[in-house]
Amino acid sequence: MSWREAFLRQARSENEIRRLLNKPNVKYSHRLHYLQMVTEKLAKAGLANPSDTDSPKTSHNAFVRYLQTLKGRAFTQRQLGYASRKAYRKFIDSILPQAHEIERLAPSVAAMTQPNPEYPWRDPRTGDISAPADYDFPELDPLRSDMLKIEKMIEQLLVVLT
Amino acid sequence: MSSKRKMIEKQAKYLAAENRKNDPDIKKVYWFPDEAEVRLVEVHTTIPKSLDGEIRPFYFRPDPAGRLPAPSGIALIRPDEAKKLPPPTDWGGWDIAEELK
Repeated sequence: MSWREAFLRQARSENEIRRLLNKPNVKYSHRLHYLQMVTEKLAKAGLANPSDTDSPKTSHNAFVRYLQTLKGRAFTQRQLGYASRKAYRKFIDSILPQAHEIERLAPSVAAMTQPNPEYPWRDPRTGDISAPADYDFPELDPLRSDMLKIEKMIEQLLVVLT
Repeated sequence: MSSKRKMIEKQAKYLAAENRKNDPDIKKVYWFPDEAEVRLVEVHTTIPKSLDGEIRPFYFRPDPAGRLPAPSGIALIRPDEAKKLPPPTDWGGWDIAEELK
């Protein structure tokens, strides 16, 4: 198995867990944690050259970059069922701000000073310490249309990418 | 020039033109010639800045039906990163890059 295939397999598996966590009695932070991990694995799969045996190097903000790279890909546009180039571009542009927010959830970016779904953090202004399980992540509300769109895009990419 | 290299160059030009059409924020495209895969660095005006100081391409499998018979690696960089950020070591240096108009 190549690194690319392995990252895709892991992303698909983590996405199944993310779906299982979509229940009213499960804290939203857990679902968000898996969403962030899926996007990380997807981007790493993209960074892995299928013909290369070396593991892909770590890269920051890779998911946003990946989406922006896909924006120029007519092949992916067709795979995702877009006849119109303009509509495809518009759709990707519309999810980039949320993709950026999801990327900021990674512990390496959020450190222990910003809300993230995995580790407690201390608000640098108030000094208050919070646990992810108690936080609602309003900027990533699952009912927002841009969140619904990005989840749809991730699901589709997991199907079409090989 | 070998026929494989000609095919790679043809695909590089096709991809560069397609990507530009699909994304007007791509202002320049540099091709790093290779015998086996298409290697492009696209200069993009709205991409986030590179935080690790290196060019990280995303790789795509061939798509013969879509006029892409060779695999490709595509990286996006900001205008101020062109000819400054180092490409992947196996891509060679900026001195071999050709701008595709």
